[in-house]
Amino acid sequence: MTTREISYSEAIREAMAIALDSDPAVILMGEDIGTYGGAFQVTLDLIDRYGPERVMDTPISELGGAGVAVGAALTGLKPIFEFQFSDFAALAMEQIVNQAAKLRYMLGGEASVPVVFRMPAGSGTGAAAQHSQSLEAWFGHVPGLKVVQPSTPEDAKGLLLAALADPDPVLIFEHKLLYKMKGPVPEGAYTTPIGKARIARAGRDVTIVAGAIMLHRALEAAEKLAAEGIDAEVIDLRSIRPIDHETILASVRRTGRLMVVYEGVKSYGVGAEISAMVAESDAFDYLEAPILRLGGAEAPIPYNPDLERVAVPQTDGIEAAARSLVRGEV
Amino acid sequence: MPVEVILPKVDMDMSHGTLSAWHVAEGELVRQGAALFDIETDKAAMEVESPATGYLHHVTAKEGDRIAVGAVIGWLYAEGEEVGPAPAAAAPAPAEEPAAKPAETVSAPAEIAAPVAQTDKIRATPAARKAAREGGIALASLTGSGPRGRIQGSDVAQALAVYRQPAASVAEWSPQPGPLAVSTRGGEGVPLVMIHGFTADSQSWMPLEKAMGRARPLIRIDLPGHGKSPRRRIASFADLARMLVEAFDDATRAHDQVHLLGHSLGGALALAIADIRARKLTSLSLIAPAGLGPEVDAEALTGIIRASRAESLAPWLRRLTASPDTITDDYARAAMATRRDPELRAAQADMAQSLFADSTQCFDLRPALARLETPAAILWGREDRILPARHALAAGSECAIHRVEGAGHIPQYECPEPVARILARHLAGAEATAG
Amino acid sequence: MADPDNRPFAIRQYAPDQLREALRRMYLIRRFEEGAEQSYMRGLIHGTMHLSIGQEASAMASCIELSDQDKITSTHRGHGHCIAKGADVGRMFAEFFGKETGYCHGRGGSMHIADVKTGNLGANGIVGGGIPIAVGAALSAKKLGRPDVTICFFGDGANNEGAFHEALNMAAIWKLPVIFICENNKYGMSTPAAYATAVPNIADRAAAYAMPGVTVDGNDFSAVAEAVHNAIARARAGEGPSLIENLTYRWRGHSKSDRNRYRTKEEIEDWIAKDPILRFRAELITHGILDEAEAGAIEAAAAEAVEQGIEFAKQSPAPSVTDVTRYVYAEA
Repeated sequence: MTTREISYSEAIREAMAIALDSDPAVILMGEDIGTYGGAFQVTLDLIDRYGPERVMDTPISELGGAGVAVGAALTGLKPIFEFQFSDFAALAMEQIVNQAAKLRYMLGGEASVPVVFRMPAGSGTGAAAQHSQSLEAWFGHVPGLKVVQPSTPEDAKGLLLAALADPDPVLIFEHKLLYKMKGPVPEGAYTTPIGKARIARAGRDVTIVAGAIMLHRALEAAEKLAAEGIDAEVIDLRSIRPIDHETILASVRRTGRLMVVYEGVKSYGVGAEISAMVAESDAFDYLEAPILRLGGAEAPIPYNPDLERVAVPQTDGIEAAARSLVRGEV
Repeated sequence: MPVEVILPKVDMDMSHGTLSAWHVAEGELVRQGAALFDIETDKAAMEVESPATGYLHHVTAKEGDRIAVGAVIGWLYAEGEEVGPAPAAAAPAPAEEPAAKPAETVSAPAEIAAPVAQTDKIRATPAARKAAREGGIALASLTGSGPRGRIQGSDVAQALAVYRQPAASVAEWSPQPGPLAVSTRGGEGVPLVMIHGFTADSQSWMPLEKAMGRARPLIRIDLPGHGKSPRRRIASFADLARMLVEAFDDATRAHDQVHLLGHSLGGALALAIADIRARKLTSLSLIAPAGLGPEVDAEALTGIIRASRAESLAPWLRRLTASPDTITDDYARAAMATRRDPELRAAQADMAQSLFADSTQCFDLRPALARLETPAAILWGREDRILPARHALAAGSECAIHRVEGAGHIPQYECPEPVARILARHLAGAEATAG
Repeated sequence: MADPDNRPFAIRQYAPDQLREALRRMYLIRRFEEGAEQSYMRGLIHGTMHLSIGQEASAMASCIELSDQDKITSTHRGHGHCIAKGADVGRMFAEFFGKETGYCHGRGGSMHIADVKTGNLGANGIVGGGIPIAVGAALSAKKLGRPDVTICFFGDGANNEGAFHEALNMAAIWKLPVIFICENNKYGMSTPAAYATAVPNIADRAAAYAMPGVTVDGNDFSAVAEAVHNAIARARAGEGPSLIENLTYRWRGHSKSDRNRYRTKEEIEDWIAKDPILRFRAELITHGILDEAEAGAIEAAAAEAVEQGIEFAKQSPAPSVTDVTRYVYAEA
């Protein structure tokens, strides 16, 4: 399989094109995903290649649109529904949480809802409080959903194809700042398994778990720390539900220190889940320091660029926190 | 056919209801749909309509009764229908629970621990706690190198490394339940029970154990207020001896015969045990046993008990040995680490008060030594400065006396090889005699 | 529809066997609901449930033309729809009793009763929750080139949910084969539809979405059947959705916790007098589809089937408590 450098959004688009080519049941739905090409130009020219019957612009009806996608998935289609911003999923919580997540269970396994929701997420674009949130933990709390968060173009493609192959509803949180990031992506079809984390950088002094844009900040921090002799292991979380217990626990057993870095609001979030998971496991016995969470501020995402920057973890903060953790200052 | 009147379920979580009032007296006619009785649940009061038209008979519930859902509380008879004895209920009243209750069995209720006073708690990382647990070392005995004095895993590893020299692995010892800490190590042959001296603990046998090699099973008992035993206070030597006899009995229950070895205060206790458990013992070995005369270097004991740092402990430990070089600074630090627990030091100070009041050994085992029938040997370092070796002269004609060259009060630590050889011969000889 | 022989639509349209079967299912619904109520009162059913006694014509006449490939989405008051669509009452009781043999293996209960194999995508505990899903099912039929239609049942309360409006709009712009059937039983729990809804008839809402909207007597089997027949024809012809409002009444309270404080005994009795089953039965007898004895036999057979269903449910095994997380995700 040949690999070349393409962007995160190109990788997603490529995955959707592969799916549209290989499975007539696949349709795309979303607001302005046709001629406009999607708010972030992810669907771009797919309407020209596959036509409006397969690439359907929906009215501005998040609840209804998500519900139509759920009903379609229940009856034979495989819709990929794009929320223009993941924040707008709040309008569709009913269909995602009460319907998509629970139909299989409520119907005793007699039904399946293979829908994929694409969720552009995250701050850093100046879009302020209602267009910048990282809400993945909300959905991580719901049994019946699967929630993934690709950090690289390769995973953006592989996780989308895995989501389509999955018989259950999958939410893909795509960080808006990553859309233009380029990286090596294999050609053709392949899947990245849902529920498997990846050790992005091996190290022995501290485990840093991060996803999406935070992975790249954590890796950057780890390189700076390496110059001081601090050897951080960085785990790309990739999947929030199901979560990869074993990779994280095994790493903590090796390093004895854990830091979770995520953009969502710090309290009640992904960091809490991972911290608790370690605290409840045998890996607890290997801890040489308290667990640290670096999460978003307890505030909506602000508009002012300086405020926006400090509202979520940045490279320097990750570096400083990891340093003090390893030096035994915490 | 009469129609049954049941107490209906009218609320979601209802399993019982209270019949608050009948609207119809027994024997009266009631029309279908008319109010028949009122029930009250936790949430509401409600009127229940008559399920049929008829005369009410065989009423089994009176006002105020709490009744299970589905229970038959009366019967309605049609006009002219013969009222015989009460019919059997059509369906068994409150039938089986509709479904299992997964939630109750799957998630246990969370327990909230009572808040613990901070002073009771030791600040240590989980890794340190695990290492200490597995290494058999008390966290309280360690000084932490982490922030705010937190004990790190590396602190425990360091302490264990020093402490274990030259001992065998601690992990092979398994603790035994009982009022005193008892640990055993498996092996072949007649077991050897070992009782350490004042201010020491079971770990102090390690050099000797190594010199003896792996053969017979070993049973180590920690004195109260020492090692891993509870920090119990004792009132007198007799009190202490009683506890040791109990621990000895518990620890040796599985064995017909054992060898018994005691050092210093442990020697006195071994003698006390031998005095009443002679038939259980194949042999008795005493290393610098206490209780054979009044003199004791109480100053050294007090010094050890009082010491709160390695620097103040080391000089007193050096008084235990013939050569001061035997006690290195590292050894003193490790020994201090095991004595860090203030409760341990308090218990030992208290014990010193009752056993060694006024710098005197307040207990006398010489009568016991005189009565001794068990094959016995006494070992004493030539340069013991804590208990005078001449106390050994109280021994009778059949008791061997070995003076260990180059050793002070703790020959088993200072010269483990010769001590092991002496013990091996003594134990083998006793077994041959017994056999 | 004008008709030379003056007989009701249903009598003209459907074969006698079909009509007798419709009567049988309406009695089955009635006896099922009564059996469920009895079982509930005896503590055999926990939770709550919403009985559709009085609404049998609406359920049955709406489903009479459907095949197993056609879909329905149902509501919390969904027992009748389920039976009308062809479900087995034994497996329904088993579900209500929380048994492994129930349609949802004891995971759904009354409020999520479904029978996917006969095209019933399930009752729904969320008011209006099934409406977008029905539109999605219609979208599947259209995209996959299947001739199926979807009937979307909802109550008068749901017509004020955002999901109703969003879904009707999408069904209309994409001309999807879906029939929206509002069972207007006058009350959303206790709130009168007349109070809560700005338009006099819920069918008037159809104008906003450029689809036909009709209000019919929901207790008149033939009237409902005719309206639905026309809507199905339109849907199958690719002309898009329709909205039908069946005016009906639930004899019982909203749920088992209802104290009936918001309506009078007189009103309830008025509606009980308009029993849709007796009305349909009389119509069938009048037009010679069956005689009194045959009708009696159908009624008795329904009662018998319900008793057997309850017995089956009682005897059925409960799910294993270790399987609490089973069916959350597809099994590998």
